[in-house]
Amino acid sequence: MLRIRNLKCYYGRIRAISGVSLSVRSGELIALIGANGAGKTTLLHTVCGLLSQWEGEINFDKKSLSGRKPQEIVRRGISLVPEGRLLFPPMSVLDNLKLGAYVRYRQRQHQDAAEDLETVLNLFPVLRERSKQAAGTLSGGEQQMLAIGRALMARPRLLLLDEPSMGLAPFLVRLIMDILVQLKGEGITILLVEQNARAALQVADRGYVLENGRVVLDGPAGDLLADQDVKRAYLGKDYREFYDGRD
Amino acid sequence: MPIWNTGEECLDREARAQQQIERLQSTLNRASKNVPFYRNRFGLQGMDSLEVENLSDLRRVPFTERQHMSDNYPYGLFAVPLRDVVRIHTAPGMTLKPTVSGYTKSDLLVWRELVGRALTAAGVTSSDILQIVLYPGLANWGRDYKDGAEAIEASVIPLTVLTPEKQLMIMRDYRTSVLITSPSAATQLMNLLFRANLNPNTLALKTLILVGQAPAASIHSQLEERLHVKTWVHYGLSEVPGPGVAFECEERQGLHVSEDHFLPEIVDPKTGEPVPEGEEGELVLTTLTTRAFPLIRFRTGDRVRFLGGACPCGRTLRRIAWLPDRTDETMVIRGVKVHHRQILLLLERAIGVMPKMYRISVKHEELRDYLEVWLLADESIFSDEIKEMEKVVQGIGSELTQELGVPVTIRLREKPSFHEN
Repeated sequence: MLRIRNLKCYYGRIRAISGVSLSVRSGELIALIGANGAGKTTLLHTVCGLLSQWEGEINFDKKSLSGRKPQEIVRRGISLVPEGRLLFPPMSVLDNLKLGAYVRYRQRQHQDAAEDLETVLNLFPVLRERSKQAAGTLSGGEQQMLAIGRALMARPRLLLLDEPSMGLAPFLVRLIMDILVQLKGEGITILLVEQNARAALQVADRGYVLENGRVVLDGPAGDLLADQDVKRAYLGKDYREFYDGRD
Repeated sequence: MPIWNTGEECLDREARAQQQIERLQSTLNRASKNVPFYRNRFGLQGMDSLEVENLSDLRRVPFTERQHMSDNYPYGLFAVPLRDVVRIHTAPGMTLKPTVSGYTKSDLLVWRELVGRALTAAGVTSSDILQIVLYPGLANWGRDYKDGAEAIEASVIPLTVLTPEKQLMIMRDYRTSVLITSPSAATQLMNLLFRANLNPNTLALKTLILVGQAPAASIHSQLEERLHVKTWVHYGLSEVPGPGVAFECEERQGLHVSEDHFLPEIVDPKTGEPVPEGEEGELVLTTLTTRAFPLIRFRTGDRVRFLGGACPCGRTLRRIAWLPDRTDETMVIRGVKVHHRQILLLLERAIGVMPKMYRISVKHEELRDYLEVWLLADESIFSDEIKEMEKVVQGIGSELTQELGVPVTIRLREKPSFHEN
């Protein structure tokens, strides 16, 4: 579905991504993990058309995304849940959601958008409860759900998520991951960028490890989860495992 | 015939190309990050691993040869810290130093998968009793075949050092249905069977998997006719990772290379340039998923050619025809590779000086294949007493047998009728 070959991205003269090849097949949940500054967010922004300085190939449904504007890419079926959620805090939950369907209202698909709003509110009942509340008053987990819901309002076939677990308590991280699995079950293809490698790899089909703008490892998520290198580099900070089974 | 991993073995060409370039790039990145040998070689070419954007870029990467394994003995080519390595294999090398290769936990899983695939393609199932008969020089493969056969839940009789007679007895009494062995060992067992006046129908054997050397077509048909079995050929690497790199499917039109784990190229052995599509040349392999012991453009010395067209079995893995004769000086005895240079170095160590005159040849006898080494009986070996000389000769012979993992017979000559060193 999404096929990236030899992608190189630049911020001015600085090269943030140096020749990455990566693919997401239809129906897959792919995790892209790596440390700060590895180039994960850059890659997502490039796919969404937010970054225009790049070389290589990005094909979505066998058509190149080169030179496409973000709104056009959204219309083709790619939505981003940005890092830090980027909601509109003073606006109501409902209005935030409706903004996600912006391009569809422009195409006068009001009926469809209203149906999708129902679907999203069914998926996140808590958002229905708080639909009139200002988005800024929601808790972190609820805000993340709202950000995902807003992305879904564009009816994407490929959903990109940038660090959805950031700043969330462990049980909320699990909740968010469960939602992703549920969305995958409903036929949405997902590319998940995470620093929380364990949470991401537990739900993903395959994973890529990015280091200094290059892929240094790829494979089935289960293999990566068990991989010593990955454990040391990205799972190392979780000491719980050391204490598990000691008591 | 069932397919072990339909998703991977039948992936469409376009997705395969993407998978290979992704895995190739991450392998090159890991190799240049973790192995100084590869980093230096990329550097010598004035290239960075990231510059390989397609398969023709790969052609600029220098070859890895068997010599490099000896040069980097023991752990120089490992790409992971030793604490991640769970198995260390020793195989005969080109020099006195053996070839060392390592496996991580995930590498072992990959090999189980590869062997499981190859066995499944030969129709082996969980109801089979599978016997492994290989010479000590291929002991590593014995382990990999055992693991792979266990993965498909066959009953395995692992590699055990026994006389051919005992192996035959086990084959008959344990009701072995699948035998994994080298073509020459299979021929010997067959001869032994007929010598003992045993009817092949008293055996439960139905599948014969031939490994280690490219069998001539005549051996194929002879074994099939006389033993009433179906034969299948597997291709593997003896020095490094292991068996089951390529395998025959039920169509038996060439061997499918497990391209999701290996990238095959075929080059002219003299120039190193790729040969035109469909022509024969030397097989060059690059590992795509190996963690502990990645190989970048490894020259196998095996002569192959690509077969075009789709295979009716449904697998999209490219096929090669594996041809007898090698592209280098290596000799293959009972599936075990023996290097000319290695023999000379062993002789030098045993005698004390490099032999001035010698002749090395592979002998085929009805019941055993062996390596024959003729030496000039000069002052370095000569002694007044016949007993002394016999002892020396025997000592050299058993030392070589030990080191090479194949039987070696030493013969002496007084007058040189062979070429000089």
